[in-house]
Amino acid sequence: MPALLDRRLVVVTGKGGTGKSTLSAAVGLAAARRGKKVLVCEVVAKERVAAFFGKPPSGPQIRELLPNLYSVHVRPREAMREYGLMTLKYETLYKLAFENAAARYFLAAAPSLAEIVMLGKVWWHATQETERSRLRWDMVVLDAPATGHGLTFLTVPEVFLRLVSEGPLARDMRSMMLLLADPAKCSVCVVTLPEEMPANEAIDLDRALRQHHFPAGPLFLNAVFESRFTPAEVAAVTRGGPSLAAAGEAADNHEARADLSRHYEALLRDTVPRELVKVPFLFERTFGAQAIEKVSRAVESTL
Amino acid sequence: MKALQGREVLCCVGSGGVGKTTAAAALALRAAVEGKRALVLTIDPARRLANSLGLKTLGNQETRIEQSLFADAHLSPRGEMWAMMLDLKRTWDELVRRAARTPEQAQAILGNKLYQTLSTSMAGSLEYMAMEKVYELYSSGRFDLIVLDTPPTSNALDFLHAPDRILDVLDNNAMRLVLGPLLKAGKIGFRLLAAPSSLVLRTLARFTGIDFLRDLAAFMLAFEGMYEGFKERAAKVKELLASSRTGFVLVTSPNPLTTQEALFFHRALESDGIRTAAVVVNRVQRDPRRHGGPDNLPALQEALRLAQIKDENHLSDRLCQTLTEQAILADLDRREVDRLRDTLRGVPLFTVPRLRKDVHDLAGLWQIGEYLGGE
Repeated sequence: MPALLDRRLVVVTGKGGTGKSTLSAAVGLAAARRGKKVLVCEVVAKERVAAFFGKPPSGPQIRELLPNLYSVHVRPREAMREYGLMTLKYETLYKLAFENAAARYFLAAAPSLAEIVMLGKVWWHATQETERSRLRWDMVVLDAPATGHGLTFLTVPEVFLRLVSEGPLARDMRSMMLLLADPAKCSVCVVTLPEEMPANEAIDLDRALRQHHFPAGPLFLNAVFESRFTPAEVAAVTRGGPSLAAAGEAADNHEARADLSRHYEALLRDTVPRELVKVPFLFERTFGAQAIEKVSRAVESTL
Repeated sequence: MKALQGREVLCCVGSGGVGKTTAAAALALRAAVEGKRALVLTIDPARRLANSLGLKTLGNQETRIEQSLFADAHLSPRGEMWAMMLDLKRTWDELVRRAARTPEQAQAILGNKLYQTLSTSMAGSLEYMAMEKVYELYSSGRFDLIVLDTPPTSNALDFLHAPDRILDVLDNNAMRLVLGPLLKAGKIGFRLLAAPSSLVLRTLARFTGIDFLRDLAAFMLAFEGMYEGFKERAAKVKELLASSRTGFVLVTSPNPLTTQEALFFHRALESDGIRTAAVVVNRVQRDPRRHGGPDNLPALQEALRLAQIKDENHLSDRLCQTLTEQAILADLDRREVDRLRDTLRGVPLFTVPRLRKDVHDLAGLWQIGEYLGGE
């Protein structure tokens, strides 16, 4: 099986607030450093990746963040339009069919049509878009929606095909399903934190992803605290009197968080059959390109 | 929380992963201990509340928290605490059965292929049913307080306008016009229809295939006559949410991204004429420097020497680094809390410090609830 950085499509999933955007950017950056041309696709309501690199939001236009690293914000309305135009060819026909009150209804009623066209756009970038008669991107990173919605997002072709079996959309959905199931081309990673709820959700998500046969990428355990003090040291400093009260509390806090990290790392290693990649907690006053660089260096050797 | 007194429904809103479920459960627990019949309703697809309450399962049925769990936490509530997790599909089914004019109509809808998908995976469906359930529980009069733990919606407007949007799907004149030929055909058995006649219909069919449009027409036909009932009820739900009986509690963590979303949520509520009742900032790092004492290397080395602790394996270096790191975290958190306080002037704000351990039992919830107690 090819290394993660050699896949066409890398999907990053996980609960909200675990650092999916950070890991998406970091994985993209690691690939870009190896000379791959990478596009990071964000599909949630608010885009974040461009801001990490001090750039204005991409919006629906692809923006260069660093040499070889690009991002785009995939939004339902534009994706719908692009996809509709691609399928229907004629602008007037598209307008007639989609830019009216009936289409608004249709967008809401057709099962997850918004997700379908967004996923369709990601698929198009990953496998169809060409530049000088070769594929434009070596790798597309999909920063997927948070857990519950993330799985819905990835299984949308499957659900759609149960309802609709003919037409261009159904045909593309089939190709999408093939791509999402192909371990040579695709990898679906999970991001989590060393905390109870995120860890439990990662366990559920991993199981659901495997049930749907998505190629299992690594489990990123983000914001890990490594133990720094022995219990004897913490005890001694804590008892060291008023002048060591601050230091004692800091050491105790640190070890409490390191305990949690250790506990959830062990739990996840036991229950999630994926390669576990630890990402250290970063103490940054501003979370920008430097932080992404650090995360990307921390994970790249394992990818 | 004084700010929340007199409210009968509390909606905890905020982005995912900020401890909404824990805050919601903590509020219900406080109310129960104070003598109320309080229910916490969670609709998150992941089974979080069950975790927080030390329960193994939590169905669409209200479950009373057992006395033994309270005893374990050294609590003796004067009221009752109940919990439930919303089952999306079942709540939809109940609503359809109640609104249908005949059992046959209900069956026709429940059996429709499209209904099955719509009821479980349509965007906004979860939000709509959550509020539907809140309204049902509220109307039952069985509870003095209902605390709703909302799904991690990225768009506040989605949450408040979900009923409108879904109802629009059930009865849309424009779509009726487009599907017209299929709807008419439906009345005499639409399988007879060979091909869609209108241009728009033909174009849509090229996109999705005609079968889907036929299903859609069948679905709309099945719903005929029920729309008014749905609409009336949705209006009542909205009325309850906008009234002073309901309070919206913004829950956030001190992370800049989530506070931004909290503020966005606050503005969205405001634009709907709803005031935020309170803000809860969870997991705020306390600054170890509040104890005073040295925080630079030479002073720490001196303090260790005086306390007769050996400075082995660079202990002083490690302590100094740890102090610096936690001071950074505390500064960052304080900055965000201040920003929230400034922007939300007049809205009661509560901070809950980061606890040493995860909350997974009533004792932990109670501890959190204590920080929500003052003013």
